[in-house]
Amino acid sequence: MRLFPRLRFRNKLNMGMAAILIVMALLLLPMVGYMSAQSLVEESKMRGSSLAASLAVRAVDPILARDFLRLKNMVDEQSRVQDVLYAFVQDRNGHVMAHTFQRRFPVDLLTANGVGENGALHIQLLEDGSRRMYDFAVPVQVSDGQLGVVRIGLSTTRISRTVQHQITLMAGLFAGALIIATSIGTYFARRVTVRLGLLRAHAEEMLTGNLNIQSSPEGGVHCWERRNCTLTECPAHGETRRRCWYIAGTMCPDCDNESNFQCRLQSCRACSVYRQNAGDEIQDLAETFDVMAVSLKTHINELRSADRNLRDQQRLMRTILDMTPDRVSLLDATMRYQACNKSFADSVGVPVPEVVGKTDFDLFYEVEAEERHMAARDILESGRRIDTQIQIKDEGKQQWFHVVCVPVFDADGRIDGLLRTDRDISDIKGYENQLIQAQKMESLGLLAGGVAHEINTPLGIILGYSQLLQEDVEPDSQIHGDLIIIEKQTKVCKKIVADLLGFSRQTDSAKREMCFNNSVLEAVSLVRHTFRLDKVEIMTDMDDRYPIIYGDPEKLKQVWINLLTNARDAMGTDGGIIFIRTKLDTPAGIVSVWMADCGVGIPKDKMKNIFDPFYSTKAVGQGTGLGLSVSFGIIEDHDGEITVTSPLPEGFEFPECEAANGPGTVFEIDLPLDHQFHEGSSEA
Amino acid sequence: MVPAVLMGCSDEEALQVDLSKRKTLVAPRQVKAITYAYLPQYSHTISYQRHRQLLEYLRKFTGLPLRQIFPDTFDEHIKMVERGEIDISYSNPFVYIRLAKVGATAFAGIVEPSGNPDFQGQIICRRDSFDIKNISDCRGKRWVAVDPESAGGYLFPLGLFYDNNITVSDFETVDFAPGPGGKQEKVVLAVHAGAYDIGTIRKGTLDVVSGKINLDDIRVLAETRLYPGWVYAARKGLDPEVIRVISEAMFALNFNHEPDREILASAGMHGIIPVQDSEYDPVRELVGKLGLTQ
Repeated sequence: MRLFPRLRFRNKLNMGMAAILIVMALLLLPMVGYMSAQSLVEESKMRGSSLAASLAVRAVDPILARDFLRLKNMVDEQSRVQDVLYAFVQDRNGHVMAHTFQRRFPVDLLTANGVGENGALHIQLLEDGSRRMYDFAVPVQVSDGQLGVVRIGLSTTRISRTVQHQITLMAGLFAGALIIATSIGTYFARRVTVRLGLLRAHAEEMLTGNLNIQSSPEGGVHCWERRNCTLTECPAHGETRRRCWYIAGTMCPDCDNESNFQCRLQSCRACSVYRQNAGDEIQDLAETFDVMAVSLKTHINELRSADRNLRDQQRLMRTILDMTPDRVSLLDATMRYQACNKSFADSVGVPVPEVVGKTDFDLFYEVEAEERHMAARDILESGRRIDTQIQIKDEGKQQWFHVVCVPVFDADGRIDGLLRTDRDISDIKGYENQLIQAQKMESLGLLAGGVAHEINTPLGIILGYSQLLQEDVEPDSQIHGDLIIIEKQTKVCKKIVADLLGFSRQTDSAKREMCFNNSVLEAVSLVRHTFRLDKVEIMTDMDDRYPIIYGDPEKLKQVWINLLTNARDAMGTDGGIIFIRTKLDTPAGIVSVWMADCGVGIPKDKMKNIFDPFYSTKAVGQGTGLGLSVSFGIIEDHDGEITVTSPLPEGFEFPECEAANGPGTVFEIDLPLDHQFHEGSSEA
Repeated sequence: MVPAVLMGCSDEEALQVDLSKRKTLVAPRQVKAITYAYLPQYSHTISYQRHRQLLEYLRKFTGLPLRQIFPDTFDEHIKMVERGEIDISYSNPFVYIRLAKVGATAFAGIVEPSGNPDFQGQIICRRDSFDIKNISDCRGKRWVAVDPESAGGYLFPLGLFYDNNITVSDFETVDFAPGPGGKQEKVVLAVHAGAYDIGTIRKGTLDVVSGKINLDDIRVLAETRLYPGWVYAARKGLDPEVIRVISEAMFALNFNHEPDREILASAGMHGIIPVQDSEYDPVRELVGKLGLTQ
């Protein structure tokens, strides 16, 4: 069944031509034979009729004259005619007057045939064993009288022989035509198949990616050569791979460059360039093939370029989307996720590819999913943009997000989906709160400064009078003791007032080069004695390289005293050890001091608030909560950094302390050594 | 094979004959009858055609077994009459004179289609033959005649020339119409074509050729005197009763009677009338005058 499709095209053509000729021979030979036979039969009948009629006419006189010799001569003349088997003449009574038979007469012939009705010619086909013959009976008539009948027998052998000859000739002609057609067909088919094979090979080349092939025959005269064209800007000028009629936008004045390819080609048919170069269908196919290859190559290059651009764009877009901390997602009209960035995928804990096709309920907890779903549905229905801030609590952690949802429209202007961006603004919110707090503190500071300034004067008077009164009373008296308490508490008040004034006053820093260790040791020496009264021992581990910094000694001393005071307060009534260590880090350009205690430590949830102004864990009356806040400001003013760690980190090498009543706390202050910039900036 | 198949496929059915069954044929004996012969101035076919109906009529009318026979020549005709093989002879007056010499007797003559029992000859020439104005101008000219035995077509005009002192030797040429049949017409056409200066024909011939040529091109130069027409003669020794019966039948034909007219017209005659042998004396005179040997 599959044999024919596998045959070579050349063989198919030959088989087709041979089949046509054979079918024609099979159809035509019987037809020709039949027609020839019929024609010959008719011709033979006419011939026999003519012979018989002629004989009948000539036999009149001999019959009338009863001239048997002439009659005999006449019939004998007929017998000499080819195919005439016999001839004889009968008189009006049917008696045979003359015949061509030797000796005796075959009696069957007497009744075998006779003239037809009205004395017309009658032809009767006779068969005698192996032979067939036509018997012609013609009346011998004079006027309307019948003198007798002339009979002539004509053999059909010649007809058969002639038909046989014609059919043999026709069969020979068909056989010759078959051979010639097959030979010519083979020649032409080979020429065609060779060209088709070339096209196929080129097609295979194209499949393997080689588009630099030429299927059409090279050579021929190009339009720009034939016309001596100087229009170098014409796309056909200098073109050797494509014929000019395949090139759109040629500038030839005879060309129709406005219509489509078929109409343009119509205008080319009268062109001498076309008439000289146009070939048959296979050449057209090959040339079209070449044009297709060139076009394909161009398209592929464009596609590759476009693909490269697209991939670059996609990579850029993906990078932008993935690098942005915002959570970007795209939903379709059915509220299923079509795309998202890495931030979004990380937030929902699902890889980016797996997000596609999911719904909010697949990615979020029910409450949040419901909120997002409702918001998305509202946008898809109304087309309104949403721009809002939401707060999300996740495992006790609060986060603020700035949410922007915009509808996405398709080419017809219908809402096709929505784009949602969730930007984490928790830090901004924190800064916002800090700003509010700072502004509150600024107002409060101004208020406190004013109050302190007013209170400072009466406090000075109270202090002065209490000291004066001490001189007027007995040193060991109750009054003297009360005055000392008044003096002490007034000093405390003045200290508070002084802190308030220091906090609120915008004092210019009096920075200079100073010894860092000395600054720390001065503060230690100031408080060491007092602290011992509270069973607090101060131990130091100072870097003996005496680092020099650029700073305000008084303010830094205030920082150290604040930190030491806080350390002492953290250890309660049992006392303890305060350990101070300084370290110079010359490569880093900083000098650090660690002030550690073995006190109660700072809870983790309160760690972030300890630098806030007026934040204090101490009982009312024991602290204002301004110390660390002021210290933080001073260290920042020195471009330093202050951090706190509680409990004490392992490996800190804190000295042994029997009275330790807690995990301890360590404050680390890093100050820069390089002060050139600050000098410059301050000078500026 | 194919032709055999094709021939076999023919829708004609062949009649089976056995050509091997043969026998010797013997011609049947001729029935005795009264023989009737027409002087063979035409072919046998014409002779048969012209007289077939007349013979049929005579057979019916007389009840006699009449059979037409066909001698090939004038001489044979005369000799057969002489030998008694022809009982009734129909001939021109010149032949009759010869038949009379061998004992035949005229018993009936025909009325010409013109309605006269006599007929005459004509001398014709082309109308543009201005040098021929009368008979004497025919001297030295080329003459075409019908036949040496033709009465109207040769002998009667020959007598006319004789009367005008012109003999055969006075003509440049004297030719006779070639071939069998239609000799009268051939003379007219030969003169019309200019092949001959003059021609001689039986009167009435021009009417026959009126459809072939324009008769205005032909001029009748002269006509002969009237001579008795064709004659029926009985051989010597024929039963007079037979003659009588046949004569009666012939005379009974009436041209005005439709069936008879067809018979007479086909035989080229208007009627048949009784004649006497003496009525042919003018012909005998002419023969004598011309010195023709009978």
